Amino acid sequence: MSEREGNSLSFKLVYYGPAQSGKTTNLLRLHDQLSPELKGELMSMETKDDRTLFFDLLPLGFRAPSGLLIKFRLFTVPGQIAHDGTRKAVLSRADGVVFVADSDRSQETNNAESFQSLTDNCRRVGLDFEHLPLVVQFNKRDLPNAVPEAEIRARWSAAPWPLVLATALRGEGVGESFAALLLAVYERHAAAQELATVHGLAAAAFVAGALGQG
Amino acid sequence: MSELAFDRQWRLDELLDAAALERIGPALAELFGGEVGILDAEGGLLWGHAPDAAERRLPLILELEAIGYLASGTAAQPALHGGRELLIAILRAQVRYKMAATLHVEAVAEDYESLQRSHARLLESEARYRKLAGELEIRVKSQLLELEERQQMLYQAEKLASVGQLAAGMAHEINNPLGFIGSNLSTFKSYLEKFAALKGRLAHAENAWRELDLDFILADGFDLLTDSASGIERIARLVADLKSFSNVDRASEEYADLNTCLQHVASVMSSQLPPTIKLSLELGPLPKLVCLPGHLNQLFFNVMRNAVQAIQDAGRPGEVRVSSGRVDGGIEIRIADDGKGMSREQREHAFEPFFTTRGVGAGAGLGLSTARNIVLAHSGRIDIASTAGVGTTVRLFFPTAQ
Repeated sequence: MSEREGNSLSFKLVYYGPAQSGKTTNLLRLHDQLSPELKGELMSMETKDDRTLFFDLLPLGFRAPSGLLIKFRLFTVPGQIAHDGTRKAVLSRADGVVFVADSDRSQETNNAESFQSLTDNCRRVGLDFEHLPLVVQFNKRDLPNAVPEAEIRARWSAAPWPLVLATALRGEGVGESFAALLLAVYERHAAAQELATVHGLAAAAFVAGALGQG
Repeated sequence: MSELAFDRQWRLDELLDAAALERIGPALAELFGGEVGILDAEGGLLWGHAPDAAERRLPLILELEAIGYLASGTAAQPALHGGRELLIAILRAQVRYKMAATLHVEAVAEDYESLQRSHARLLESEARYRKLAGELEIRVKSQLLELEERQQMLYQAEKLASVGQLAAGMAHEINNPLGFIGSNLSTFKSYLEKFAALKGRLAHAENAWRELDLDFILADGFDLLTDSASGIERIARLVADLKSFSNVDRASEEYADLNTCLQHVASVMSSQLPPTIKLSLELGPLPKLVCLPGHLNQLFFNVMRNAVQAIQDAGRPGEVRVSSGRVDGGIEIRIADDGKGMSREQREHAFEPFFTTRGVGAGAGLGLSTARNIVLAHSGRIDIASTAGVGTTVRLFFPTAQ
C-alpha cells in the first residue's frame, strides 16, 4: 500500500503476466527511457535462462512542489506457474499493476490463466481488485503471428482498464503503459494523500514527474 | 508496510550487522589512512569515528535515498569516494540476498497456505463423498428391498395367472363330460316319462310297449347311464390330477424303495395294456429314499402312460422299458418307449402346464407338468431325450442323502 514515511510517499507498482511475456524488458526499457529526478539502478534476479527467479526492482522518484518525495518501486513477478507463492508475495501491498500479456497467438491460454491468477491472488493477498489501478499491455506486437489489434480490442472492449499495445524489446508502448498506470494510481490515491491540495501536484504533473518530463 | 516484508526499506544496521562492521570497518580505516565512520540514515554512528565536517561525509544510496553515510577525517576525497562505491557494492549484494531470502520465506509460507487450503478442500470433498457413499448404500438397500417386494408381487401374480390358466383348462375339460351327462340325464328324464305313461296303458301292455318304443329306450337308457358314469369318472380323474398338481392332498413322507413303486405302477398299467404293447422292467438294487410315494406313483404313472400313448400314436407294436439303478449321488430311473417320438417344439413345451398334443377331452396337458413338479419337490431332475418317429426316453434322477 502507498506508504508515508517521513517526508516521502512510496508506491509499489507490479508488472504481472505469463512467463516470458516481457515484464523485465519493460523495466529495462523504462530504466533507459525515463529520466526522473531520482532513478535507482535496476536490481534484477534472473536465472541464467533469462527467467526472473524472484523479482526485478526499479526505483524511481521525484519531489513534489511541497517537498514531498514521491517514490515508485516497480517490481516484476516471476511468470513461471510453479512460482505462484513468490508471485503472491511480490503482489502483496501493490498499489497498481501492469498486466503484460503476450500477443503471440499460441499464448492466449497462458494469458487467460495468468490473468485469472492475478484476480485470484489479489483476493488472497487482500487487494481490492475492483478498485486496483490496472493497465493491460499486449506486448510483442512485432511477432508475425501476433493476434491482430482489432481482435484484441474487441475482446477487451468491455473491460474497464486502459489497453496499450507494446513492443517492449524496441521500447514501444512501454512508457505509455507506465504513464497510463501512473494516471490510474493518481486517481485512486490523490484525494487520500492530498496530492493536489497540500502538495501542489496535479495529475499531469504527477505523471510528468515520474516520467521525468517535468 | 509490514515490518518483516521483503520489500520494506532496509536499514543500514540490518544490512551490516556487528560482524560485518567488524570486518569492513578496519579494512576501510586502513584504506582511509586511519579514520572511518559508518553512520545510519539519522546520523547515528554504527562504527568508528566520524568528523563533523559535512564535506567529509558521503551518502550511501541504494535506491533513491541515503540509508546511511560513510565519513572519514583522514581520507583524501578520491579515496573516500572510492571507498563509498566499494561499500555500496557490498550493500547491494547484501540487500539482494536479504530481499531474496525474505521473499523466499514469504513465498514458502504462501505455498504452504495454498497447500493447506487445497488440503482443507480435499478433506471437505472427501467428507462429502463419504456422506454420499453412505446415502448411496442406504438407497441401494431400500431399492433392493423394493425390487424384492416387486419380484415377490410378480411371482404371486404369475402364480395367480397359472392358477387361472389351470382353472380355465379344467373348466374346459370338465364342461365336456358335464355337457353330455346333462344331456343324457334330460333324455333319460323323457324316457322315465314314457315309463310313467306305460303305467296307465298296462292293460294294452304289448301294444303300448311297442308304441312307446320301450325296447329302444331300455337299451339306450343303459347306454346313457354307462356313458354318464364314465363321464363322472373322467371328472373325478381330472379333479384327482388337479389335486395332485396343486399338492392339495400332501401326504406324509416315507422311507420307500422306488422299485416297489415302479412295480406297483407297472402292474396297474399292464392290466390296461393292449396286447401289442409290452412293458418290461429292468430294476437294479436301490437305496431307500425319503419321499412321497403317492406322488411318485402318480409321476411314474404319468410318464408310463405317455409312453404307452406314444406307441399307440405310432400305430405299431412296441415296448416300454423301465429301468432303475444307482448312479453317482443318487438314483436314476429311465422310462423308454419306441413310439412316435416328439418334435423339437413339443420337447421345448413338454413341461408347460396344459400343453398337449391331444385333442380336447383326451388330455388336460398336465401329465409332464405334474411330473416335473413332483420331481422338483424331491430335489430331483427330469429330462427328455426324443427323436421324432423313433422314440422317447424320460430320465429321472433323485439325489440320495449323503
